[in-house]
Amino acid sequence: MGQIEIRGLSIDYRKPKSDETFTAVENVSLSIEKGSFVTIVGSSGCGKSTLLMAIAGLIPRARGSIQVDGKEVSKPGPDRAMVFQDASLLPWRSVHANVRFGLELQRWTRDDIDERAMRYVRMVGLGAFADYHPHQLSGGMRQRVNIARALAVDPDVLLMDEPFGALDAQTREVMGDELLRIWERDKKTAIFVTHAIDEAIFLGDRVVVMGRNPGHIRDVVDIDLPRPRTAVMLDSPAFVAYRKRLREYIAADMQSLQMVEDVV
Amino acid sequence: MASIAVPAPRVRSRWARALERYYGLSVSVVSVLCFLLLWEVAAERGWINARFSSQPSQIWRAAIHVGLTDDFAYHCWVSFAAFALGFAMALAVSVPLGLYLGTSRRGRLFIEPPLMALYTAPRLALLPILIVWLGIGLASKVAVVFLGAVFPILVNTMAGVRSADNRLVTAARAFGAGKLDIFVKVLVPGSLPAILMGVRLGVGRGVLSVVVGEMFVSEAGVGYQIMTYGQAMQFNNLLVYAFTISLFGYALTVGVRMLEDRIRSWRPAS
Repeated sequence: MGQIEIRGLSIDYRKPKSDETFTAVENVSLSIEKGSFVTIVGSSGCGKSTLLMAIAGLIPRARGSIQVDGKEVSKPGPDRAMVFQDASLLPWRSVHANVRFGLELQRWTRDDIDERAMRYVRMVGLGAFADYHPHQLSGGMRQRVNIARALAVDPDVLLMDEPFGALDAQTREVMGDELLRIWERDKKTAIFVTHAIDEAIFLGDRVVVMGRNPGHIRDVVDIDLPRPRTAVMLDSPAFVAYRKRLREYIAADMQSLQMVEDVV
Repeated sequence: MASIAVPAPRVRSRWARALERYYGLSVSVVSVLCFLLLWEVAAERGWINARFSSQPSQIWRAAIHVGLTDDFAYHCWVSFAAFALGFAMALAVSVPLGLYLGTSRRGRLFIEPPLMALYTAPRLALLPILIVWLGIGLASKVAVVFLGAVFPILVNTMAGVRSADNRLVTAARAFGAGKLDIFVKVLVPGSLPAILMGVRLGVGRGVLSVVVGEMFVSEAGVGYQIMTYGQAMQFNNLLVYAFTISLFGYALTVGVRMLEDRIRSWRPAS
């Protein structure tokens, strides 16, 4: 479960207070194997988050199709769960109650809801903090809650929108390790959006590189590194080669932006 | 084995700890006592004219007199009943209406102009009309309290819903939340602090309204007694009732604020 097919996808946004539209994502086709970990990387404004939101069913598309296990995506569904960047936890709910939130919304039966939420709180290592409120936690801990909330509803696809974007570099690495450890237990299809190149290579089976004006896929790079991934690999020749290749794409994208600005 | 010096725990007396714990309260009490003392001494020494400005000790004597002979409890009850009824009605109307208007743009556009006109209109000016409609007595007073309390609660509730964090709404939607789920699980709990702030402001307005109402449209109650003693120049008795009102309003406000603090406990202390 969790096979994703995207064909000829375009997403338009309407400019505020006018009838003009601009295209955020144009003609994207991508197929994602079930159980694989795909990262999407690109500079800001390349439509990577927009693409993710569309897979989540949170924004309408202009053309093309998105299918999860052969079913057309039209709205959010229990087969997909999303991890957001930060501050998406309900501040008035405890850690445990935040993890419960998704289960409540998806109408899980009352009896096992508490126990199940607690199991996922423990899984992300926050068993001792179940009664804490988000403001009492560090950024890294908050994102653990965020991940637990998404996994608790047992989705086939885990969508992550720069979940570690607000964390410092060290915490970010720890969280990456942790995420892979959790992911490798039941290998749900994972799509992870980031603007950090190293993170994209370290986590992904494949890295999708996006460019902008309008958002499109520039390349899909298969990452041929063994799992489990370890910090030692960050300095391996293969990793360095991937990093170099991806950097060039991003640099080219920045340049193209520069040219657009010059013309305007 | 290396030893690490552990700083000895500071030993403090029970008194010092109690003072630390109730620091805010102690300062407030001292402030009130200082004011009363200054007042007493000023009147005693003839710095101010005790006949027109009264004196704490005289008010105290008047309080005992009023408490024993003046149907004090009855007047308090009359005022309290008007306040409680009017305030309950204000709550029952403003919270649901505010929640609705916070979510509906069309409803807001439709109802906001008359609402704001009424909000800023001097309610005292409406009093003659209320008297004609409702007569002199409980109904008019309830209406005055209602009009005083309903707007702060309504406006704050509306603002609370409208300022809801969009990221939380998106997160809820991603987990399949429908409109009702979002309303019940995100918008209402999220706007609770704003609602309670409105309630706190409404309490002040409501208490004020009941007194003002009674000064004009009543034959009993605390406001009526204040009016009567004012006309008779019996300021000691007047102040007994005035202080009763402020004490009541203050206690209620503190109560609501404690509730606010409880509900806000998820927030970092500011």
